[in-house]
Amino acid sequence: MSMRNILSSFTGKKAGRAFLLPAVIILLALTIFPFLFSLFLTFGKVSFLGGLQINYAGLKNWIRLFGDERFYNALSNTVLIAVIAVASEYVLGLGLVLLLSTKVKGSTFFRVLFFLPMMLTPIAVGYMWRMMFNPTRGVIDHVLPLLGLPVVGWLTEPKIVLYSIILTDIWQWTPFMILILFAGFQSIPPALLEAAKVDGASGWRLFREIIFPLLIPASVAAILLRTIEVLKIVDKIYILTGGGPGIYSESMTLFGYSLGLRAFDLAYGATIAFSLFATVLAISIIFLLITRRSQEITLE
Amino acid sequence: MFKKTGKSKLLKEAAVIMLCAAVMLVGTLGSSLALAEKRFEGVEITVFTQTPPFIAKPVQMFRADWERETGGKVRLITAPWGELYPKMFSSFALGAKNYDIIIFPAAYLADFASNEFLAPLDSFIARDPKIDWGDILPVYREKISTYAGTIYAVTMDGDSHMFYYRRDAIENPEHQAKFKAKYGYDLAPPKTWVEVRDIAEFFNGWDWDGDGRKEYGVVEGMRKGAQGFWTFFSRSAAYTSIPGQAQGLFFDPETMKPLINDPGHVRALEDWIEMIEFGVPGMINMDNGEVRSVYAAGEAAMAIDWGDVGVVSDTDPGSTVKGKVGYSILPGTTKAWDYVKKSWVDFPGVNHAPYLAFGGWIGAIDAKSDNVEAAYDFLSFLGSPENSYICVTTPNTGFNPYRKSHFEKLAGWYGYGFVHPEDYLGAIEATIAHSNVQPDIRIPGAFRYFEALDAQLAMALAGAKTAKQALDGAAKEWEAITEDLGKEKQLKNYRASLGLPIE
Repeated sequence: MSMRNILSSFTGKKAGRAFLLPAVIILLALTIFPFLFSLFLTFGKVSFLGGLQINYAGLKNWIRLFGDERFYNALSNTVLIAVIAVASEYVLGLGLVLLLSTKVKGSTFFRVLFFLPMMLTPIAVGYMWRMMFNPTRGVIDHVLPLLGLPVVGWLTEPKIVLYSIILTDIWQWTPFMILILFAGFQSIPPALLEAAKVDGASGWRLFREIIFPLLIPASVAAILLRTIEVLKIVDKIYILTGGGPGIYSESMTLFGYSLGLRAFDLAYGATIAFSLFATVLAISIIFLLITRRSQEITLE
Repeated sequence: MFKKTGKSKLLKEAAVIMLCAAVMLVGTLGSSLALAEKRFEGVEITVFTQTPPFIAKPVQMFRADWERETGGKVRLITAPWGELYPKMFSSFALGAKNYDIIIFPAAYLADFASNEFLAPLDSFIARDPKIDWGDILPVYREKISTYAGTIYAVTMDGDSHMFYYRRDAIENPEHQAKFKAKYGYDLAPPKTWVEVRDIAEFFNGWDWDGDGRKEYGVVEGMRKGAQGFWTFFSRSAAYTSIPGQAQGLFFDPETMKPLINDPGHVRALEDWIEMIEFGVPGMINMDNGEVRSVYAAGEAAMAIDWGDVGVVSDTDPGSTVKGKVGYSILPGTTKAWDYVKKSWVDFPGVNHAPYLAFGGWIGAIDAKSDNVEAAYDFLSFLGSPENSYICVTTPNTGFNPYRKSHFEKLAGWYGYGFVHPEDYLGAIEATIAHSNVQPDIRIPGAFRYFEALDAQLAMALAGAKTAKQALDGAAKEWEAITEDLGKEKQLKNYRASLGLPIE
């Protein structure tokens, strides 16, 4: 059979499948296999004696996880950071989009300025804020006494440290909300807004009944993407506090990194990683269900 | 005439022949010498270590010289600190042969050597006069680079914690008078941790150096996930180590029971928690890198660190304390907990137990490497007395002195920028050569134990747990780790690491 005949036999669905095959193989090798292997690790005990050995350990790692005070601490820290940071970023982002959408002089300049923090790496942001939060040499604690305010242990006070981390996250990622919401705002037909204004809709009513409902799809996407990202937060915390003081700022990913890669307890590290995956999945599904329901109500 | 001419011609011919012979001989010798020197022509060795500058810099400094001399090639691969252990371990365990040489923290040696990942180096060292093995100080030669009686690594760095104090603060007569009036004894470089506490309290929160800014008592690395647990052991070693007794710092060498919650450790942790009050604000979030810069900025009277505070204070152009720093062995205690008798032992003088925190960086060879000869040759070149002296007296190499010759030649230290190198080197030598010096933990899973302890220490420092609660928690976790790794095996490893009979 000549090459031409072989090629000509690959037509229609067959050819489609053949062309998809390399991509499927790469996906299986690089994504699905590591995912399933990590899942398998959560039920195993890893030993490197005489080569890599993984023995079945049943639910041992999961039982250990659910009895581990550090797990609950890391979970609650992570969820708290996600809820407050994403909510604040959304509210601020939405407000700034409304401001930027007005024909104010220099709005293009401010648009670029607002996007700058998002372009920095989280490690650089971590170091920058760590310097600013420094109690003896940082700019913030230098300025506070000049204003008659007390010096704050931004990264050393257990009750404050999470809010300091949230502040840095809001500073860096509010621009992301602006970016998505601004794109959503731009897609609202100007005629619709003009018509509403002609019908006598004021600023607040215009926002509540026209702009906000039309921004819901963009809002859902922005909030969901940010929530998934914040739930995996590690880099800024690693630089700012290392999870301290104590374990008051330890996030799930940092907890998993400490146990899995610093202590090299791979099976337990994988279990922590999967518990985070389950958390992200559950929160995403709940969020999508709620927003779908609210969209249905709005349409009704 | 003929005779004369013939003789002259003969002489000329003989001279030409001899010249040719000489040229040929020199050529032959030269080419054979060249062949001998280019003994690793075409061989490429891969070195894996920490991201530059620290630790990788010496490889960068000397690889071109070695390549020129041997014809070999050195490929340098680096990774950040946190990725060193997993990458090294997985390469060895999976037989990937990713690296011929690893330059790594001595704390990993037991993990690697007990799993037979590393090539034994005894025979190489025995026939290598260039490395001058006897010049390396015994504690590094016999303990840090050795596991169960076999040499697995070439010492590259000497690491131990030492104590720093501000001479100008302590030697000030006005301060001395005020201190005596308040505490009832003379202000002097502290000999015990109790004195450290008093001096830290005395110098905390006022401008004692007249620079118009407030200074503080002490600066120590306490940050979670950094090097705080080493500072803790530096403080607890003297409370738990009795001269002549098998190490009481980590485990009971008879039973493998953790000793981490013994009263000696609890007392040390209580002392350490109290230091937060007398320390530079934010000390709880400082790693040792920040300790160095804070101390060099003149913010604290005392500090605990490896040799680096000394280096930064005297050689960094931004330092405000150049020439003002005093160095000493770690302070001690007047009592220590006897883990065998389960009681406190009082000492008539001071019990010092300097601690070889971390133990330094060492270089070893993958047992499965295809280029063991060339790899050893490069390690020997890098760690030779001459090259290692350049390393320990060059900024940003991260290497501290570990050879007798490093302490004897002061010229390089003055050239480095030290004002009182004899004091600096004297304190290091006193630490390393001390009869009660305590090596770091060197058993498989060392960093699992450290990680568990680190989290508990952080909770105690943050006030979430008492010292006792935190160390009880650490002991519980240490027992679980030991069980997980195999108690019998860990006991054998621990005894081997201490040089005790295994059976």
